[in-house]
Amino acid sequence: MVWLQGLLCGALVMLAPPTALLMGVLLGPAILAALLDGQPGRPKARSIALFGMAASVDPLRALWVSGHTMPAAAALLGNMHVLGTAWAAAAAGWLLVEAAPVAVRATLEAISISRAARLRVMRAKLAEEWQLDPVGGDL
Amino acid sequence: MANPAPPRPGVALIADRYAVEMGRLLPPVGGLAAFAATDQTTGRTDLMAIRVQRHLPPRPRTLQALSTPIDGLLTPLAHGVTVAQSGSSEEACYVICLAPPGPNLLARPRPWPEAELLECVLRPAAQVLEQLRARGVTHRGIRIENVFQSRPGQPVVLGSAWAAPPTVGQPALFEPPYSAMCLLAGRGEGSIADDVYSLGVLLLCLGLDQAPLAHLDDAAIVRRKLEVGSYAALLGDQRLPPVIGDLVRGMLAEDPEHRPSPGLLLDPASARSRRVAARPPRRAQRAIPMAGVEIWDARSLAQALAVEPEAGVHALTSGAVIQWLRRSLGDALLAARLEDLVRHRALDSLPSDTNGDATLVMRAIAMIDPLAPLCWRGVLLWPDGIGTALAAAQATDADVSLRLQELIALELAGNWAAVRPERCDFAVVRAEARQHHAWLQLSGTGGGEARLCYLLNPLLPCSSKLMGGHWVIRLPELLLALEEAAGRADRKHVQPVDGNIAAFIAARSERRLDNELMALAGGAPDDEACMAQIRILAQLQSRHHKQALPGLAAWLAEQAGPVLATWRNRDSRASITERLQVLAHAGFLAPMLALVGDPVARDTDAREAQWASAELGRIDAELGQIAAGAGSRASLASRLGQEIAAGVGLAMLAIVLAAVAFG
Repeated sequence: MVWLQGLLCGALVMLAPPTALLMGVLLGPAILAALLDGQPGRPKARSIALFGMAASVDPLRALWVSGHTMPAAAALLGNMHVLGTAWAAAAAGWLLVEAAPVAVRATLEAISISRAARLRVMRAKLAEEWQLDPVGGDL
Repeated sequence: MANPAPPRPGVALIADRYAVEMGRLLPPVGGLAAFAATDQTTGRTDLMAIRVQRHLPPRPRTLQALSTPIDGLLTPLAHGVTVAQSGSSEEACYVICLAPPGPNLLARPRPWPEAELLECVLRPAAQVLEQLRARGVTHRGIRIENVFQSRPGQPVVLGSAWAAPPTVGQPALFEPPYSAMCLLAGRGEGSIADDVYSLGVLLLCLGLDQAPLAHLDDAAIVRRKLEVGSYAALLGDQRLPPVIGDLVRGMLAEDPEHRPSPGLLLDPASARSRRVAARPPRRAQRAIPMAGVEIWDARSLAQALAVEPEAGVHALTSGAVIQWLRRSLGDALLAARLEDLVRHRALDSLPSDTNGDATLVMRAIAMIDPLAPLCWRGVLLWPDGIGTALAAAQATDADVSLRLQELIALELAGNWAAVRPERCDFAVVRAEARQHHAWLQLSGTGGGEARLCYLLNPLLPCSSKLMGGHWVIRLPELLLALEEAAGRADRKHVQPVDGNIAAFIAARSERRLDNELMALAGGAPDDEACMAQIRILAQLQSRHHKQALPGLAAWLAEQAGPVLATWRNRDSRASITERLQVLAHAGFLAPMLALVGDPVARDTDAREAQWASAELGRIDAELGQIAAGAGSRASLASRLGQEIAAGVGLAMLAIVLAAVAFG
């Protein structure tokens, strides 16, 4: 897969150097995350890339509308608004991928605690009614 | 047997008919207290009531056989239980029989003339004995103070001997030596020949001017009779009228088969002519010391071995007895048989086997003197007296009771009979011995010695402490006694069916309740024992006592804790406990049994308890899963969070692309 990605990137650089330059800079954080993310499937890099790509669509359209030249690409890269938006989106993606598991875990724990409490009440009632083990181990 | 009736002041009723007048004490009969009695139906007043002792039960077969009166005999009319004393709640058993028509023969001056002895004593007594023989029973109480005469010249009347086991109250003088040497309560019913012997002693006493052997104790009398023969021992150097002398000589023969039958005695002339040449005991050339006395003949040797079994073992195994028999007594055949016996003992068992030694002595005695009773470790008895001996020993002598149990457990009566088959019905004795052993072997609360004792003594009262002063012979009376005991017993800790009562029920219910009684055995779970107890008493109530027993029912309800605890559902348990109290108040045990033992309800309870248990297991498993699932939840949360982030990113990309495409 890696060689295919390399081939595609090489082809892009050879065939559309302005696009490659623009995307390379705008998706810089995503490329950096892909290099640093060691988890299988690189979930953080994936999220950062998706957010970065969403923010890069408009500048890419502007490059192609303006003739798809290296100066146009350089001009777009020189626009701090374009670069800031793309990198801010990448940062938002990173933030989301870090915060979402924590929120999900908190939710799951709350559900488990509530279920355990309900089960303990049911257990105590059964044990009392049927003369069964009233303690139930270390639950 | 009648149920106790409410007594009038000073008067207690037997069989709802015979009034026992506690205030009018009569001379004791064979050591038993006697009271005046009247028949309230006919107004007859010439009756007496003999009070039975707890450990010496009356003779059931004789009481039944004598339901039709016999002239010349104080026949029993009824027997039953009533209060022991006026105003007391304690009960006693009485045998009602005719009162003596006059004083006993001790009151008459002696010696009696021959004609009066024949006409007033021998003929009437022989007639009575002949009728007893025809009915298959014996008297075993003929002695001078138990034979009565209304006035001189009238036929004598034989007294009562029904209110205690045979020969209780009978002195050794009037008993054949082989009966006198036995346990007092172990002499058995015997045979009519034993009554002929007692009648012979009576004739002899009346024919002499002084009582024979008055200076000797019972053991010495037995020894003397064995040494020289009963006739010679009793007569000594005195003389009897010739006819009486000849008759008495035959009647006092040591061998019962040599004594004339009662029928023959009805004709004294022919009885006199049928003289059996009773050989005097063969006397040895020199004595052998045994049990502190010098033995000169085989019968005395057998008796000494019986009385001193330990010394007997030594004398037998050392060869001293065999040598004495061969050289001094000149009985080589008996010596050879004994030698074989001792040799077999040495080969068959270990020297330390004390039962083997005791068996050797027992067989040796039976071999030396086939007329001798069964002798086991110093306990002498006739096999048909085992039941009464056991009853007496249980109350008075634990050591003898233990030896009797050994005797039964080893089926020694059969062993003893096998040595002297010509003297008894070997098959019957052996079968009875096996039956007794089987009963003794019955395990459990209602088995063993107590049950055997009740089985062998149908009129023996229940000896449980719970009976208090009650005299309980039959099962219906047991429930009444327990109802009263319920008022004073510690209901929480004392069971209404203790071991003794269980044995009594087992013996009187003819094995119908054996399964329930087995459940009462030690080791059974409390709830099963409790259920068995309720089941037994409920069955007894439904069979024998239709009235309510609220005290006993409340007692059982108190004891029902273990059974109630087996109901798993709390609400069911509470409901059953409440209903049980209501039923106990009503006093009927069958509905209580139906409530606590309801199989459908129990099945439902068990099934639901099983479901509850499974449900509890499921809950425990789920709680365990929750407790152990923190790691997996964290992993899931991480994965879900990343997927959510990716999903949001993808959605934003899609929205932007759509906006670019359409806008």
